[in-house]
Amino acid sequence: MAFLEINNVSKYFGKTTAVKDFDLKVEKGELVSFLGPSGCGKTTTLRMVAGFEVPSEGQIIIDGKDMTFTPPNQRPVGMVFQAYALFPNMTVAGNIGFGLKIAKKPKEEIEQRVKEMLELIHMPGFENRYPHQLSGGQQQRVALARALAMHPEVLLLDEPLSALDAKIRVSLRAEIRAIQQELGITTIYVTHDQEEALSISDRVVVMNNARIEQVGTPFQIYNFPQTEFVAQFVGTLNAVLAEIVDVKDGLLRFDGQQVHTADKLEGYRNGDRIMVAIRPERLSFAHEGRKANILTGTIKNITFLGSIVRIQVKLGESVFYMDTFNNPYLTLPNIGDPTEITCSKEAVLVLQQQPA
Amino acid sequence: MKRVNLFAWIIFILGIIYFFLPLFSTFEFSLRMKKGVYSFEAYRVAFQDPKFYYNFGYSVLWAVLTILFSLILVVPTAYWVHWRLPKARPIVEFITLMPFVTPAVVLTFGLIRLYGSPPLVLTSTPIPLIAGYIVLSLPYMFRSVDAGLRAIDIRTLTEAALSLGAGWGTIITQVIFPNIRVAILSGVFLTFAIVMGEFVFASLLSWPAFATYLEEIGSMRAYTPQALSLMSFFITWSMMMLIQWLGRGAGRAEEIAVGH
Ligand SMILES: Nc1ncnc2c1ncn2[C@@H]1O[C@H](COP(=O)(O)OP(=O)(O)O)[C@@H](O)[C@H]1O
Ligand SMILES: [Mg+2]
Repeated sequence: MAFLEINNVSKYFGKTTAVKDFDLKVEKGELVSFLGPSGCGKTTTLRMVAGFEVPSEGQIIIDGKDMTFTPPNQRPVGMVFQAYALFPNMTVAGNIGFGLKIAKKPKEEIEQRVKEMLELIHMPGFENRYPHQLSGGQQQRVALARALAMHPEVLLLDEPLSALDAKIRVSLRAEIRAIQQELGITTIYVTHDQEEALSISDRVVVMNNARIEQVGTPFQIYNFPQTEFVAQFVGTLNAVLAEIVDVKDGLLRFDGQQVHTADKLEGYRNGDRIMVAIRPERLSFAHEGRKANILTGTIKNITFLGSIVRIQVKLGESVFYMDTFNNPYLTLPNIGDPTEITCSKEAVLVLQQQPA
Repeated sequence: MKRVNLFAWIIFILGIIYFFLPLFSTFEFSLRMKKGVYSFEAYRVAFQDPKFYYNFGYSVLWAVLTILFSLILVVPTAYWVHWRLPKARPIVEFITLMPFVTPAVVLTFGLIRLYGSPPLVLTSTPIPLIAGYIVLSLPYMFRSVDAGLRAIDIRTLTEAALSLGAGWGTIITQVIFPNIRVAILSGVFLTFAIVMGEFVFASLLSWPAFATYLEEIGSMRAYTPQALSLMSFFITWSMMMLIQWLGRGAGRAEEIAVGH
């Protein structure tokens, strides 16, 4: 049995549906992130696990116990908020030891635990600082230590890095992941940043419009998106509406181009229209080696992005992105040049239609 | 620029004169109890009157009771409104402003009518008086506490405390209260100043109070009332200065907190 079960949970606020039919099992020690645009219901789902909201339908089960209606202060759950959640009137030690003090632990034990926690977050000696004397990144690390000091069974983080600047975000997310793995704590991590979700998670839950779109490992989510939304939201993507020419052969047509897909076209008939997607990095110039599909067009724009170069190619009505690795000996075409680009059959992904 | 500055200065000086001249004349007059010399005789006489202590003491008692009960009423209410009913805030704010549009006399007669006849006869107790004072100081108390709550993220702090296992008592006393202490104190001092100077309620409900005493001796003596009204001013002012002083400290702490 899974350690944390969110069983078919829905939440309505009056007429607003914040979360609909959310169903997820999280294994012990797993880090699962909820990824989706603002307003899609990530925070509400997390708050139902924490106990700040009661589900309108469904159950929350932690370690085999039904906690759907258990108040938040009686759940074995630690939470890290977006920002400004440290108690401003208490020192770092006071903050980290707060929960233990409430649990009436002896003073020596609290001091000892605070010390351990500060070592865990690489901030030894910060006991007597006040929150306003810390940087944003340090504050969030203390918030993490405070949540972990209680040895909770589940750790919840709601966009813990979104108030920090880019450099710190990247280093701190690695630190959070390292600590999570060291302690083996079951964790839910909410974010709207796809790179963050892909880089630290065991599994990613992509959400849109109060519903789960897809659950999978970062590898599955990125390489095999099942819906157009997932494909669009995670990474950059070329998506077009194509017409099926031959179901058996996997032959499709769009904008006067013909491509083959390796995906099965079960349930479709010739002439049906479907969404297909190709990742920019799976396209390349045909003169560097031809693959199963050849697309012809003209160069529309070239953008230098550091380690990669992103080339826009106009194919009839649509514009495709193509990424190639940068190297100093790269010879780039000119804007307006005609060109041929290529990709394998496997690169052409057939996306499920959005449920109506 | 120069002209504007000059004009502003003239207004400012006129304002100062308008405000301080009566005070100064009162002060000057209060020093003339002994013929021909300035002295603090009027103050000595005022402080010798046992009735002064009696009435002043009662006013302090009313102030303390008012503060106590209005804190018990206002802090949890304002807190709850912030945490759970943010949409109700304008309504609550409007209610707290009622004393500004309802004259004290009307309020008092309302209280007397309501509590002077069965089923609930309370006019022999100071409850209507304290209740009146609480209403009177509500705008100041609520606004102070409200401002304090707005300066911190009440919801996140409450939820952080809850997720660490804290109960409501702990949250209010250890998390909320310490973080809005300055705001609460400014509400407390304002309430103190208001109750110490209040006349209508005490007079109509016939309870001893500093202001009614002042009025009483004002009609009998010449010099001591001047001395005492200056004292009353002094109380209000020291309360204001205390608030200013506290507020400056709080402002600095917030700047540091925001400016990292
Ligand atoms: N307390 C609430 N009352 C009413 N609507 C809410 C409340 N909390 C969230 N919502 C609504 O539920 C939806 C999901 O919100 P939320 O879970 O915060 O999204 P996310 O965290 O993904 O940005 C939004 O439309 C939001 O407006
Ligand atoms: Mg959110």
